Amino acid sequence: MSEPFEPKIVGFLCYWCSYTAADLAGVSRMKYPPNLRVIRVMCSSRVDPVFIIKALLDGADGVLVAGCHPGDCHYQKGNYYARRKVALTKKILESLGLGPERVKLSWIAASEGPKFAQVAKEFTEEIRRLGPNPARAEIFL
Amino acid sequence: MVAVKIEGNRWEGFKGFLRDLLGEGAVGAVVVPYPVPAGDSFAHLLVKEPSRVDHAWPVAPVMTVQGGRVVSRLTRKGPVEVPTVVVLRPCELAAMRELIKLNQVKPQGLLTVSFDCPGAYPLRSYLEGNGEEIKAAFLNALKDFRLAGARPLCQVCIRFTGAWADIEVGFLGAPQGSFYLIAHTPQGEKALEALGYTGQEDLAEREKAVEELTASRVSEREAYFREEFGPQVAGPEALLATFHNCINCHNCMRVCPICFCRECFFESNALKVAPHNYLMRARRKGGLRFMPDTLLFHTGRMNHMSLSCVSCGACEDACPNAVPVSRLFAMVGDRTRAIFQYEPGRDLEEPIPFLDYREEELQEWEEPYIQSTTHCPSSL
Ligand code: SF4
Ligand code: SF4
Ligand code: SF4
Ligand code: FES
Repeated sequence: MSEPFEPKIVGFLCYWCSYTAADLAGVSRMKYPPNLRVIRVMCSSRVDPVFIIKALLDGADGVLVAGCHPGDCHYQKGNYYARRKVALTKKILESLGLGPERVKLSWIAASEGPKFAQVAKEFTEEIRRLGPNPARAEIFL
Repeated sequence: MVAVKIEGNRWEGFKGFLRDLLGEGAVGAVVVPYPVPAGDSFAHLLVKEPSRVDHAWPVAPVMTVQGGRVVSRLTRKGPVEVPTVVVLRPCELAAMRELIKLNQVKPQGLLTVSFDCPGAYPLRSYLEGNGEEIKAAFLNALKDFRLAGARPLCQVCIRFTGAWADIEVGFLGAPQGSFYLIAHTPQGEKALEALGYTGQEDLAEREKAVEELTASRVSEREAYFREEFGPQVAGPEALLATFHNCINCHNCMRVCPICFCRECFFESNALKVAPHNYLMRARRKGGLRFMPDTLLFHTGRMNHMSLSCVSCGACEDACPNAVPVSRLFAMVGDRTRAIFQYEPGRDLEEPIPFLDYREEELQEWEEPYIQSTTHCPSSL
Protein backbone atom coordinates (compact mmCIF):
# COMPACT_ATOMS: atom_id res chain seq x y z
CA MET A 1 0.00 0.00 0.00
CA SER A 2 1.00 3.60 -0.44
CA GLU A 3 2.26 5.80 2.35
CA PRO A 4 -0.25 7.22 4.82
CA PHE A 5 -1.73 10.53 3.75
CA GLU A 6 0.02 13.59 5.11
CA PRO A 7 -1.83 16.75 4.11
CA LYS A 8 0.09 19.56 2.50
CA ILE A 9 -1.40 22.90 3.40
CA VAL A 10 -0.38 26.31 2.13
CA GLY A 11 -0.90 29.13 4.60
CA PHE A 12 -0.95 32.75 3.51
CA LEU A 13 -0.38 34.70 6.70
CA CYS A 14 -0.46 38.44 7.01
CA TYR A 15 2.75 39.99 8.23
CA TRP A 16 1.26 42.18 10.93
CA CYS A 17 -0.88 39.65 12.78
CA SER A 18 -1.11 36.03 11.82
CA TYR A 19 2.53 35.63 10.81
CA THR A 20 3.58 37.18 14.10
CA ALA A 21 1.24 34.78 15.87
CA ALA A 22 2.85 31.87 14.05
CA ASP A 23 6.23 33.19 15.11
CA LEU A 24 5.03 33.49 18.67
CA ALA A 25 3.70 29.95 18.62
CA GLY A 26 7.13 28.87 17.42
CA VAL A 27 9.20 30.68 20.01
CA SER A 28 6.78 29.60 22.74
CA ARG A 29 7.42 26.02 21.60
CA MET A 30 3.76 25.32 21.09
CA LYS A 31 3.03 22.11 19.32
CA TYR A 32 1.36 22.25 15.94
CA PRO A 33 1.54 19.95 12.95
CA PRO A 34 4.26 20.55 10.36
CA ASN A 35 1.78 20.25 7.49
CA LEU A 36 1.30 23.98 7.09
CA ARG A 37 3.73 25.66 4.69
CA VAL A 38 3.71 29.33 5.51
CA ILE A 39 3.90 32.11 2.96
CA ARG A 40 4.10 35.58 4.42
CA VAL A 41 2.09 38.32 2.74
CA MET A 42 1.91 41.94 3.80
CA CYS A 43 -1.86 41.81 4.27
CA SER A 44 -4.59 39.21 3.82
CA SER A 45 -5.90 41.37 0.98
CA ARG A 46 -2.69 40.68 -0.94
CA VAL A 47 -3.93 37.16 -1.56
CA ASP A 48 -5.23 37.21 -5.10
CA PRO A 49 -7.78 34.38 -5.40
CA VAL A 50 -5.60 33.09 -8.20
CA PHE A 51 -2.94 32.22 -5.57
CA ILE A 52 -5.45 30.02 -3.79
CA ILE A 53 -6.58 28.29 -6.95
CA LYS A 54 -3.03 27.86 -8.18
CA ALA A 55 -2.05 26.18 -4.91
CA LEU A 56 -5.04 23.83 -5.09
CA LEU A 57 -4.54 22.95 -8.74
CA ASP A 58 -0.85 22.28 -8.14
CA GLY A 59 -1.85 19.74 -5.53
CA ALA A 60 -2.04 21.50 -2.16
CA ASP A 61 -4.62 19.71 -0.02
CA GLY A 62 -5.74 22.86 1.73
CA VAL A 63 -5.19 26.61 1.74
CA LEU A 64 -5.38 28.81 4.80
CA VAL A 65 -5.70 32.57 4.53
CA ALA A 66 -5.20 34.30 7.84
CA GLY A 67 -5.05 37.94 8.79
CA CYS A 68 -5.76 40.48 11.49
CA HIS A 69 -9.20 40.47 13.09
CA PRO A 70 -11.81 42.63 11.33
CA GLY A 71 -11.24 46.19 12.43
CA ASP A 72 -7.56 45.52 13.18
CA CYS A 73 -6.02 45.38 9.70
CA HIS A 74 -2.80 47.38 9.56
CA TYR A 75 -4.12 48.92 6.35
CA GLN A 76 -7.57 49.50 7.92
CA LYS A 77 -9.77 47.62 5.49
CA GLY A 78 -7.62 45.01 3.77
CA ASN A 79 -9.16 42.08 5.57
CA TYR A 80 -12.69 43.21 4.69
CA TYR A 81 -11.71 42.97 1.04
CA ALA A 82 -9.94 39.68 1.71
CA ARG A 83 -13.11 38.25 3.21
CA ARG A 84 -15.06 39.15 0.07
CA LYS A 85 -12.43 37.60 -2.15
CA VAL A 86 -12.23 34.38 -0.16
CA ALA A 87 -16.03 34.08 -0.02
CA LEU A 88 -16.09 34.45 -3.80
CA THR A 89 -13.38 31.85 -4.33
CA LYS A 90 -15.11 29.36 -2.06
CA LYS A 91 -18.40 29.94 -3.86
CA ILE A 92 -16.73 29.27 -7.20
CA LEU A 93 -15.13 26.08 -5.88
CA GLU A 94 -18.50 25.04 -4.48
CA SER A 95 -20.30 25.73 -7.77
CA LEU A 96 -17.77 23.64 -9.67
CA GLY A 97 -17.77 20.84 -7.10
CA LEU A 98 -14.10 21.42 -6.31
CA GLY A 99 -14.14 21.19 -2.53
CA PRO A 100 -14.63 24.67 -1.03
CA GLU A 101 -13.91 23.19 2.38
CA ARG A 102 -10.25 23.01 1.40
CA VAL A 103 -10.04 26.78 1.78
CA LYS A 104 -10.19 28.45 5.20
CA LEU A 105 -10.26 32.04 6.24
CA SER A 106 -9.21 32.79 9.78
CA TRP A 107 -8.47 35.86 11.89
CA ILE A 108 -5.48 35.44 14.18
CA ALA A 109 -4.10 38.41 16.10
CA ALA A 110 -0.38 38.92 16.72
CA SER A 111 -0.72 37.85 20.35
CA GLU A 112 -2.74 34.72 19.55
CA GLY A 113 0.03 32.17 19.29
CA PRO A 114 -2.17 29.47 20.85
CA LYS A 115 -4.99 30.23 18.43
CA PHE A 116 -2.58 29.89 15.53
CA ALA A 117 -1.44 26.51 16.79
CA GLN A 118 -5.02 25.43 17.20
CA VAL A 119 -6.11 26.61 13.76
CA ALA A 120 -3.16 24.79 12.21
CA LYS A 121 -4.03 21.65 14.11
CA GLU A 122 -7.74 21.66 13.42
CA PHE A 123 -7.38 22.53 9.76
CA THR A 124 -4.82 19.78 9.29
CA GLU A 125 -7.19 17.29 10.89
CA GLU A 126 -10.06 18.53 8.82
CA ILE A 127 -8.05 18.07 5.64
CA ARG A 128 -6.87 14.69 6.78
CA ARG A 129 -10.49 13.63 7.04
CA LEU A 130 -11.20 14.99 3.56
CA GLY A 131 -8.33 13.01 2.10
CA PRO A 132 -5.92 13.99 -0.65
CA ASN A 133 -6.87 16.69 -3.11
CA PRO A 134 -7.86 14.90 -6.32
CA ALA A 135 -5.90 17.53 -8.28
CA ARG A 136 -2.69 16.11 -6.80
CA ALA A 137 -2.39 13.45 -9.42
CA GLU A 138 -4.33 15.11 -12.19
CA ILE A 139 -2.18 15.86 -15.20
CA PHE A 140 -4.74 17.34 -17.57
CA LEU A 141 -5.48 20.51 -15.69
CA MET B 1 -41.84 59.71 -18.66
CA VAL B 2 -42.64 59.54 -22.35
CA ALA B 3 -44.09 56.34 -23.75
CA VAL B 4 -45.71 56.11 -27.16
CA LYS B 5 -47.23 53.40 -29.26
CA ILE B 6 -46.06 53.26 -32.87
CA GLU B 7 -48.38 51.58 -35.36
CA GLY B 8 -47.05 49.59 -38.27
CA ASN B 9 -44.51 46.96 -39.07
CA ARG B 10 -42.16 46.54 -36.09
CA TRP B 11 -39.07 46.00 -38.13
CA GLU B 12 -39.57 48.97 -40.45
CA GLY B 13 -40.80 51.06 -37.54
CA PHE B 14 -37.67 50.44 -35.49
CA LYS B 15 -35.43 51.37 -38.41
CA GLY B 16 -37.60 54.33 -39.24
CA PHE B 17 -37.24 55.61 -35.72
CA LEU B 18 -33.44 55.41 -35.93
CA ARG B 19 -33.42 57.03 -39.36
CA ASP B 20 -35.59 59.87 -38.10
CA LEU B 21 -33.32 60.45 -35.09
CA LEU B 22 -30.40 60.86 -37.47
CA GLY B 23 -32.31 62.62 -40.22
CA GLU B 24 -33.97 65.18 -37.96
CA GLY B 25 -30.62 65.99 -36.43
CA ALA B 26 -31.52 64.79 -32.93
CA VAL B 27 -28.25 62.84 -33.06
CA GLY B 28 -25.20 62.95 -35.29
CA ALA B 29 -24.46 59.26 -35.67
CA VAL B 30 -25.91 55.82 -35.04
CA VAL B 31 -24.06 52.64 -34.09
CA VAL B 32 -26.11 49.69 -35.24
CA PRO B 33 -25.59 46.08 -36.44
CA TYR B 34 -25.36 45.91 -40.20
CA PRO B 35 -25.13 43.06 -42.69
CA VAL B 36 -21.65 42.74 -44.16
CA PRO B 37 -21.48 43.10 -47.96
CA ALA B 38 -21.39 39.35 -48.59
CA GLY B 39 -24.66 39.20 -46.66
CA ASP B 40 -23.70 36.25 -44.53
CA SER B 41 -22.79 37.96 -41.30
CA PHE B 42 -23.14 41.17 -39.33
CA ALA B 43 -20.92 43.92 -37.97
CA HIS B 44 -21.57 47.08 -36.03
CA LEU B 45 -21.52 50.12 -38.24
CA LEU B 46 -21.03 53.72 -37.15
CA VAL B 47 -23.54 55.34 -39.49
CA LYS B 48 -23.52 59.01 -40.46
CA GLU B 49 -25.73 58.94 -43.56
CA PRO B 50 -29.45 58.54 -42.67
CA SER B 51 -30.39 56.50 -45.74
CA ARG B 52 -27.86 53.87 -44.69
CA VAL B 53 -30.01 53.09 -41.69
CA ASP B 54 -32.58 51.53 -44.04
CA HIS B 55 -30.31 48.53 -44.47
CA ALA B 56 -29.39 48.12 -40.81
CA TRP B 57 -30.48 45.20 -38.66
CA PRO B 58 -31.03 46.81 -35.27
CA VAL B 59 -31.92 43.38 -33.92
CA ALA B 60 -29.43 41.02 -35.53
CA PRO B 61 -29.82 37.24 -35.56
CA VAL B 62 -26.26 36.76 -34.26
CA MET B 63 -23.90 38.59 -31.95
CA THR B 64 -20.58 38.82 -33.75
CA VAL B 65 -18.86 41.42 -31.57
CA GLN B 66 -20.23 42.23 -28.13
CA GLY B 67 -21.66 45.74 -28.35
CA GLY B 68 -20.20 46.67 -24.97
CA ARG B 69 -16.77 46.24 -26.52
CA VAL B 70 -17.79 48.33 -29.50
CA VAL B 71 -18.80 51.25 -27.30
CA SER B 72 -15.65 50.84 -25.24
CA ARG B 73 -13.50 51.12 -28.35
CA LEU B 74 -15.49 54.06 -29.64
CA THR B 75 -14.97 56.09 -26.46
CA ARG B 76 -11.65 54.82 -25.21
CA LYS B 77 -9.86 58.10 -25.90
CA GLY B 78 -12.71 60.30 -24.76
CA PRO B 79 -16.43 60.93 -25.12
CA VAL B 80 -18.09 61.29 -28.53
CA GLU B 81 -18.27 64.85 -29.84
CA VAL B 82 -21.69 64.56 -31.44
CA PRO B 83 -24.67 62.88 -29.80
CA THR B 84 -24.55 59.26 -30.92
CA VAL B 85 -27.18 56.57 -30.70
CA VAL B 86 -25.95 53.10 -29.80
CA VAL B 87 -28.33 50.24 -30.43
CA LEU B 88 -27.53 47.42 -28.05
CA ARG B 89 -28.97 44.11 -26.98
CA PRO B 90 -29.87 44.13 -23.27
CA CYS B 91 -26.78 42.09 -22.35
CA GLU B 92 -24.60 44.41 -24.43
CA LEU B 93 -26.11 47.37 -22.64
CA ALA B 94 -25.48 45.72 -19.27
CA ALA B 95 -21.84 45.21 -20.28
CA MET B 96 -21.57 48.81 -21.41
CA ARG B 97 -22.96 50.02 -18.08
CA GLU B 98 -20.56 47.77 -16.21
CA LEU B 99 -17.75 49.23 -18.31
CA ILE B 100 -18.85 52.76 -17.38
CA LYS B 101 -18.31 51.81 -13.75
CA LEU B 102 -14.91 50.40 -14.65
CA ASN B 103 -13.93 53.59 -16.49
CA GLN B 104 -13.77 51.82 -19.82
CA VAL B 105 -16.66 53.65 -21.46
CA LYS B 106 -17.20 57.41 -21.49
CA PRO B 107 -20.98 57.68 -21.60
CA GLN B 108 -21.31 61.43 -22.27
CA GLY B 109 -23.13 62.08 -25.51
CA LEU B 110 -24.28 58.50 -25.98
CA LEU B 111 -27.96 57.77 -26.31
CA THR B 112 -28.62 54.11 -25.66
CA VAL B 113 -31.44 52.29 -27.42
CA SER B 114 -32.28 48.73 -26.45
CA PHE B 115 -35.15 46.37 -27.10
CA ASP B 116 -36.95 43.18 -26.16
CA CYS B 117 -34.37 40.69 -27.36
CA PRO B 118 -35.66 37.45 -28.85
CA GLY B 119 -32.19 35.91 -28.47
CA ALA B 120 -29.45 35.16 -30.95
CA TYR B 121 -28.40 32.09 -32.87
CA PRO B 122 -25.08 30.43 -32.13
CA LEU B 123 -22.64 32.07 -34.50
CA ARG B 124 -21.50 28.82 -36.00
CA SER B 125 -24.94 27.40 -36.70
CA TYR B 126 -25.81 30.68 -38.36
CA LEU B 127 -22.71 30.81 -40.52
CA GLU B 128 -23.18 27.20 -41.57
CA GLY B 129 -26.91 27.42 -42.15
CA ASN B 130 -29.03 28.93 -44.88
CA GLY B 131 -28.75 32.63 -44.15
CA GLU B 132 -31.96 33.71 -45.88
CA GLU B 133 -34.14 31.10 -44.18
CA ILE B 134 -32.61 31.86 -40.82
CA LYS B 135 -33.10 35.60 -41.24
CA ALA B 136 -36.76 35.07 -42.08
CA ALA B 137 -37.28 32.85 -39.05
CA PHE B 138 -35.54 35.41 -36.93
CA LEU B 139 -37.74 38.29 -38.06
CA ASN B 140 -40.72 36.14 -37.28
CA ALA B 141 -39.49 35.79 -33.71
CA LEU B 142 -39.97 39.53 -33.23
CA LYS B 143 -43.68 38.76 -33.38
CA ASP B 144 -44.04 35.80 -31.06
CA PHE B 145 -40.77 36.05 -29.14
CA ARG B 146 -39.95 32.39 -29.61
CA LEU B 147 -36.62 31.76 -31.26
CA ALA B 148 -36.12 28.06 -31.93
CA GLY B 149 -32.44 27.20 -31.93
CA ALA B 150 -31.36 30.25 -29.95
CA ARG B 151 -28.15 29.99 -27.93
CA PRO B 152 -28.69 28.10 -24.68
CA LEU B 153 -28.04 31.18 -22.55
CA CYS B 154 -30.51 33.24 -24.58
CA GLN B 155 -33.17 30.66 -23.83
CA VAL B 156 -32.76 31.27 -20.11
CA CYS B 157 -32.02 34.99 -20.30
CA ILE B 158 -33.72 36.91 -17.53
CA ARG B 159 -32.82 40.49 -18.54
CA PHE B 160 -34.26 40.53 -22.00
CA THR B 161 -35.74 44.05 -22.17
CA GLY B 162 -34.19 47.42 -22.84
CA ALA B 163 -35.33 48.81 -19.49
CA TRP B 164 -31.85 50.14 -18.69
CA ALA B 165 -31.56 52.14 -21.92
CA ASP B 166 -32.34 55.79 -22.48
CA ILE B 167 -34.95 54.60 -24.95
CA GLU B 168 -36.55 51.19 -24.79
CA VAL B 169 -38.16 49.60 -27.82
CA GLY B 170 -40.90 47.34 -26.51
CA PHE B 171 -42.52 44.53 -28.50
CA LEU B 172 -43.89 42.41 -25.68
CA GLY B 173 -47.42 43.24 -24.66
CA ALA B 174 -47.96 45.53 -27.66
CA PRO B 175 -50.78 44.62 -30.05
CA GLN B 176 -49.51 42.90 -33.21
CA GLY B 177 -48.50 45.46 -35.78
CA SER B 178 -47.36 47.97 -33.19
CA PHE B 179 -44.60 48.56 -30.67
CA TYR B 180 -43.71 50.98 -27.91
CA LEU B 181 -41.02 53.61 -27.58
CA ILE B 182 -40.37 54.29 -23.92
CA ALA B 183 -37.99 56.94 -22.60
CA HIS B 184 -36.35 56.14 -19.27
CA THR B 185 -34.11 59.17 -18.88
CA PRO B 186 -34.28 62.92 -19.58
CA GLN B 187 -32.01 62.42 -22.63
CA GLY B 188 -34.36 59.76 -23.90
CA GLU B 189 -37.35 62.05 -23.43
CA LYS B 190 -35.62 64.87 -25.20
CA ALA B 191 -34.85 62.68 -28.18
CA LEU B 192 -38.43 61.41 -28.42
CA GLU B 193 -39.80 64.91 -28.06
CA ALA B 194 -37.48 66.11 -30.83
CA LEU B 195 -39.34 63.69 -33.10
CA GLY B 196 -42.66 64.99 -31.87
CA TYR B 197 -43.44 62.07 -29.59
CA THR B 198 -45.09 63.05 -26.35
CA GLY B 199 -47.58 61.49 -24.02
CA GLN B 200 -47.80 58.54 -21.76
CA GLU B 201 -49.17 55.36 -23.24
CA ASP B 202 -50.69 52.87 -20.82
CA LEU B 203 -48.09 50.12 -20.43
CA ALA B 204 -49.96 47.81 -18.05
CA GLU B 205 -50.30 45.02 -20.63
CA ARG B 206 -46.63 45.24 -21.45
CA GLU B 207 -45.56 45.21 -17.83
CA LYS B 208 -47.65 42.13 -17.24
CA ALA B 209 -46.18 40.32 -20.24
CA VAL B 210 -42.62 41.17 -19.19
CA GLU B 211 -43.25 40.10 -15.63
CA GLU B 212 -44.70 36.75 -16.69
CA LEU B 213 -41.88 35.94 -19.07
CA THR B 214 -39.30 37.01 -16.49
CA ALA B 215 -40.81 34.78 -13.84
CA SER B 216 -40.82 31.73 -16.08
CA ARG B 217 -37.29 32.43 -17.34
CA VAL B 218 -35.99 32.83 -13.79
CA SER B 219 -37.23 29.41 -12.80
CA GLU B 220 -36.13 27.81 -16.09
CA ARG B 221 -32.68 29.26 -15.69
CA GLU B 222 -32.35 28.07 -12.14
CA ALA B 223 -33.55 24.60 -13.07
CA TYR B 224 -31.28 24.44 -16.12
CA PHE B 225 -28.17 25.15 -14.08
CA ARG B 226 -29.21 23.02 -11.13
CA GLU B 227 -30.58 19.96 -12.89
CA GLU B 228 -29.25 19.86 -16.40
CA PHE B 229 -26.09 21.80 -16.99
CA GLY B 230 -24.68 21.86 -13.45
CA PRO B 231 -24.41 18.08 -13.03
CA GLN B 232 -22.70 17.85 -16.45
CA VAL B 233 -19.87 20.11 -15.41
CA ALA B 234 -19.50 20.02 -11.63
CA GLY B 235 -17.01 17.83 -9.83
CA PRO B 236 -13.36 17.26 -10.69
CA GLU B 237 -13.95 14.66 -13.37
CA ALA B 238 -16.89 16.31 -15.08
CA LEU B 239 -15.17 19.67 -15.03
CA LEU B 240 -12.01 18.26 -16.55
CA ALA B 241 -14.04 16.52 -19.21
CA THR B 242 -15.69 19.85 -19.97
CA PHE B 243 -12.32 21.44 -20.56
CA HIS B 244 -10.62 18.52 -22.26
CA ASN B 245 -11.20 20.17 -25.63
CA CYS B 246 -9.95 23.53 -24.49
CA ILE B 247 -6.79 24.53 -26.32
CA ASN B 248 -6.15 27.43 -23.96
CA CYS B 249 -6.30 29.91 -26.82
CA HIS B 250 -7.90 32.63 -24.65
CA ASN B 251 -10.36 33.60 -27.36
CA CYS B 252 -13.10 33.50 -24.75
CA MET B 253 -11.27 36.14 -22.73
CA ARG B 254 -10.46 38.35 -25.71
CA VAL B 255 -14.04 38.67 -26.89
CA CYS B 256 -15.46 39.17 -23.40
CA PRO B 257 -16.62 42.73 -22.83
CA ILE B 258 -15.77 42.52 -19.15
CA CYS B 259 -12.20 41.27 -19.63
CA PHE B 260 -10.87 44.67 -20.58
CA CYS B 261 -7.43 44.40 -18.93
CA ARG B 262 -4.73 45.73 -21.24
CA GLU B 263 -2.59 42.80 -20.22
CA CYS B 264 -4.40 39.77 -18.94
CA PHE B 265 -2.75 38.16 -15.92
CA PHE B 266 -3.06 34.80 -17.62
CA GLU B 267 -1.02 36.02 -20.57
CA SER B 268 1.55 37.78 -18.44
CA ASN B 269 5.03 36.62 -17.56
CA ALA B 270 3.76 35.62 -14.12
CA LEU B 271 2.69 32.30 -15.60
CA LYS B 272 5.61 31.84 -17.97
CA VAL B 273 8.16 30.09 -15.88
CA ALA B 274 11.55 28.47 -16.38
CA PRO B 275 11.70 24.88 -17.67
CA HIS B 276 12.73 23.52 -14.28
CA ASN B 277 9.42 24.73 -12.85
CA TYR B 278 7.46 22.77 -15.46
CA LEU B 279 9.70 19.77 -14.88
CA MET B 280 9.14 19.98 -11.15
CA ARG B 281 5.39 20.02 -11.64
CA ALA B 282 5.64 17.13 -14.09
CA ARG B 283 7.71 15.17 -11.60
CA ARG B 284 5.21 15.75 -8.82
CA LYS B 285 2.26 14.52 -10.84
CA GLY B 286 3.98 12.24 -13.27
CA GLY B 287 3.24 14.53 -16.20
CA LEU B 288 2.11 18.00 -17.15
CA ARG B 289 -0.27 18.97 -19.89
CA PHE B 290 0.73 21.67 -22.35
CA MET B 291 -0.38 24.37 -22.69
CA PRO B 292 -0.29 24.41 -18.92
CA ASP B 293 -2.68 26.16 -16.53
CA THR B 294 -5.87 25.68 -18.51
CA LEU B 295 -8.11 25.21 -15.50
CA LEU B 296 -6.25 27.96 -13.67
CA PHE B 297 -7.08 30.31 -16.50
CA HIS B 298 -10.78 29.55 -16.37
CA THR B 299 -11.24 29.40 -12.62
CA GLY B 300 -8.93 32.37 -12.12
CA ARG B 301 -10.87 34.34 -14.67
CA MET B 302 -14.08 33.45 -12.85
CA ASN B 303 -12.57 35.00 -9.75
CA HIS B 304 -11.67 38.15 -11.61
CA MET B 305 -14.85 38.82 -13.47
CA SER B 306 -17.74 36.43 -12.85
CA LEU B 307 -19.42 39.10 -10.67
CA SER B 308 -19.65 41.33 -13.72
CA CYS B 309 -20.37 38.62 -16.31
CA VAL B 310 -23.51 39.62 -18.19
CA SER B 311 -24.28 36.14 -19.56
CA CYS B 312 -23.98 37.40 -23.11
CA GLY B 313 -22.59 34.20 -24.61
CA ALA B 314 -19.90 35.96 -26.65
CA CYS B 315 -17.17 33.73 -25.19
CA GLU B 316 -18.97 30.54 -26.17
CA ASP B 317 -19.58 31.83 -29.69
CA ALA B 318 -15.86 32.55 -30.00
CA CYS B 319 -14.66 29.19 -28.71
CA PRO B 320 -13.24 27.12 -31.57
CA ASN B 321 -13.76 23.87 -29.68
CA ALA B 322 -17.32 24.03 -28.40
CA VAL B 323 -16.47 24.43 -24.72
CA PRO B 324 -19.68 25.60 -22.98
CA VAL B 325 -17.72 28.41 -21.45
CA SER B 326 -20.43 31.08 -21.26
CA ARG B 327 -22.81 28.72 -19.52
CA LEU B 328 -20.14 27.90 -16.97
CA PHE B 329 -19.46 31.56 -16.34
CA ALA B 330 -23.16 32.38 -16.19
CA MET B 331 -23.88 29.54 -13.77
CA VAL B 332 -20.98 30.39 -11.50
CA GLY B 333 -21.68 34.11 -11.86
CA ASP B 334 -25.30 33.68 -10.79
CA ARG B 335 -24.01 32.12 -7.60
CA THR B 336 -21.15 34.51 -6.86
CA ARG B 337 -23.39 37.50 -7.51
CA ALA B 338 -26.00 36.11 -5.13
CA ILE B 339 -23.53 36.47 -2.24
CA PHE B 340 -23.55 40.22 -2.75
CA GLN B 341 -27.03 40.60 -4.30
CA TYR B 342 -25.16 42.21 -7.16
CA GLU B 343 -26.36 42.57 -10.69
CA PRO B 344 -24.05 43.84 -13.40
CA GLY B 345 -25.31 46.95 -15.17
CA ARG B 346 -28.27 47.47 -12.87
CA ASP B 347 -27.19 50.65 -11.16
CA LEU B 348 -24.34 52.94 -12.14
CA GLU B 349 -23.96 54.05 -8.52
CA GLU B 350 -23.72 50.52 -7.16
CA PRO B 351 -20.03 49.70 -6.59
CA ILE B 352 -18.57 46.49 -7.92
CA PRO B 353 -18.40 44.16 -4.89
CA PHE B 354 -14.61 44.00 -5.00
CA LEU B 355 -14.49 47.74 -4.31
CA ASP B 356 -16.86 47.68 -1.39
CA TYR B 357 -17.37 45.95 1.96
CA ARG B 358 -19.47 45.96 5.10
CA GLU B 359 -17.86 45.59 8.47
CA GLU B 360 -20.46 43.05 9.50
CA GLU B 361 -21.01 40.53 6.73
CA LEU B 362 -20.07 37.14 5.35
CA GLN B 363 -19.37 35.68 8.78
CA GLU B 364 -20.44 32.32 7.43
CA TRP B 365 -17.32 32.28 5.25
CA GLU B 366 -14.93 32.60 8.18
CA GLU B 367 -13.57 29.65 10.17
CA PRO B 368 -16.76 28.09 11.52
CA TYR B 369 -14.87 25.09 12.85
CA ILE B 370 -13.01 26.80 15.62
CA GLN B 371 -15.82 27.99 17.84
CA SER B 372 -16.85 24.60 19.18
CA THR B 373 -13.39 23.50 20.18
CA THR B 374 -11.80 26.60 21.64
CA HIS B 375 -12.98 25.55 25.08
CA CYS B 376 -10.64 23.48 27.12
CA PRO B 377 -12.31 20.03 27.12
CA SER B 378 -11.72 19.66 30.85
CA SER B 379 -13.86 22.72 31.57
CA LEU B 380 -16.97 21.11 30.06
S1 SF4 C 1 -17.69 35.67 -19.59
FE1 SF4 C 1 -18.70 35.19 -21.54
S2 SF4 C 1 -20.90 35.38 -21.07
FE2 SF4 C 1 -19.80 36.44 -19.43
S3 SF4 C 1 -19.66 38.60 -20.06
FE3 SF4 C 1 -17.77 37.57 -20.77
S4 SF4 C 1 -18.23 36.94 -22.87
FE4 SF4 C 1 -20.21 37.39 -21.89
S1 SF4 D 1 -8.96 37.08 -16.91
FE1 SF4 D 1 -8.58 38.59 -15.32
S2 SF4 D 1 -6.60 39.53 -15.85
FE2 SF4 D 1 -7.38 38.48 -17.68
S3 SF4 D 1 -8.47 40.05 -18.82
FE3 SF4 D 1 -9.99 38.95 -17.55
S4 SF4 D 1 -10.12 40.15 -15.67
FE4 SF4 D 1 -8.24 40.79 -16.73
S1 SF4 E 1 -12.65 27.71 -23.69
FE1 SF4 E 1 -12.49 27.76 -25.95
S2 SF4 E 1 -12.02 29.92 -26.43
FE2 SF4 E 1 -11.60 29.63 -24.24
S3 SF4 E 1 -9.40 29.12 -24.14
FE3 SF4 E 1 -10.53 27.18 -24.25
S4 SF4 E 1 -10.59 26.67 -26.42
FE4 SF4 E 1 -10.04 28.84 -26.31
S1 FES F 1 -2.50 43.75 7.67
FE1 FES F 1 -3.26 41.94 8.58
S2 FES F 1 -5.06 41.63 7.43
FE2 FES F 1 -4.38 43.52 6.61
